Amino acid sequence: MKKLSKAKEGEIWAIGGGKGGTGKTFVTSCMGTYLAEKGNRVVLIDVDIGGANLHSFFGINRPIKTLTNFFEDGLPLKELTVKTGIDNMRLITGDIHSMASDSIKFTQKLKLFRHIMKLNTQYVLIDLGGGSHNNTLDTFLMADKMIAVLVPEIIAVENMYHFIKNALFRKVRMSLRAYGFREIVEHIWERRTRYKIKNLKELIDWLKDSFSYIGDILEKELAGFKIYLILNKVRSPDDIFIGASMKSVFVKYLGIDTDFVGYIEYDDSVWRSIRSCQPFMIHYSSSRCTEEIEDFTENLINGKEIRLLRP
Amino acid sequence: MSREEYKRYFEILEINPDASLFEIKNAYMRLKKFYSSESMVLAPITEEFPKKKRREILKQIEEAYSKLIALLENEHESVFFEEPSVSDDVPEERKAESISFSGPVLRQIREKLGIQLHEVTLDTKIRVENLENIESEKFESLPPEPYLKGHIKTYASFLLLNPNKVAEDYLKRYKEWKEKHSNE
Repeated sequence: MKKLSKAKEGEIWAIGGGKGGTGKTFVTSCMGTYLAEKGNRVVLIDVDIGGANLHSFFGINRPIKTLTNFFEDGLPLKELTVKTGIDNMRLITGDIHSMASDSIKFTQKLKLFRHIMKLNTQYVLIDLGGGSHNNTLDTFLMADKMIAVLVPEIIAVENMYHFIKNALFRKVRMSLRAYGFREIVEHIWERRTRYKIKNLKELIDWLKDSFSYIGDILEKELAGFKIYLILNKVRSPDDIFIGASMKSVFVKYLGIDTDFVGYIEYDDSVWRSIRSCQPFMIHYSSSRCTEEIEDFTENLINGKEIRLLRP
Repeated sequence: MSREEYKRYFEILEINPDASLFEIKNAYMRLKKFYSSESMVLAPITEEFPKKKRREILKQIEEAYSKLIALLENEHESVFFEEPSVSDDVPEERKAESISFSGPVLRQIREKLGIQLHEVTLDTKIRVENLENIESEKFESLPPEPYLKGHIKTYASFLLLNPNKVAEDYLKRYKEWKEKHSNE
């Protein structure tokens, strides 16, 4: 899977992370609002299979035309976009029924991405929803920025590992396939006890060490594999530590380049704003959360990390 | 230390080479705490990421930190980015040992770490005026020697220095002053 958008000016950000309820949709809506307020043309795409509800974050009705019309009727993406109530920003919605897992073929996904790039926008933000289905993983892997949202809870941490490992495993498989090694990863993995391979990291190391040309391929293909980590619902300074720790394990154990870009404090105003279907960044513009979201969106734009001021 | 080594140490501490001394110290303490404790981040991968591997990482973190700090402590001697051929003659450890910890040196290290005196007080419970007197070597205003020794060691640990070495150096200067003073 190649990153597709190198030739154009816009950037595709995918927001995922495994567990549902970590605030992916909230983060997407807020980052989009901030980017649009800065004068960028932004399109949000909601592909949350379990519950596409990004429209609710702007207090608008579920759009009638959805990605189903793109896949089945060939409607251009432009005709699917609806206003969000915020200047410069429009929204496209997926469809719960026809987007059930693996109902979309890989070629269809490529087509979707090609059309996304023709949208003449500066930022396309894709809200992936929970789960680690292949559909979700492929969309995540094709984006320019792979953004993962975590909350400081054990289940979310577990799901995050699951999600990131699956994404990495799929990336390795698809990369080698593209070079003609059709089933080698599956073949080795199925016989992992014989090769004394215990986990994904050891599998990758084994592949690299055993065949230098595979090592070269993976070196090249995994160079762009970078995770941008956002921590949501932070309640104490110790919670921030969890974001930094997660990054550390990704880097030191899985060998994945990771930026911990920032966090959002837990704040009742967030659920109040969600419940009242008001765009958070507009109605709570002086909230600390708003400031924190602006900070990490700037970090994402500029390729910077959060500065941690205490150990 | 070569540029490559220098870069690698920053990578191990997961910070950019433009990080301040305060950030270096922060990163070191954070990573050390994380890899030597039980965390919910490590819980789901305890089996595939065993203690042995964690100990290796801790070792690397220690090495990276001590090398960077030694380098930055020696900054005034302009040993920055010495070519390997030159630094072969004088090993890093010996350079680090050759420093004598006086009051002004402690102040210099503290300032490089970007720490205010009152922050030291918060952590160590040593009063600000005592810290000031230690740094400016106003020996006549310092508490009696046993207390002073305790203060110096605590302060040295706070600055992540070797407490025994610092206390030895500092008290040597203190005793020299005392001897001279009693003879007068």
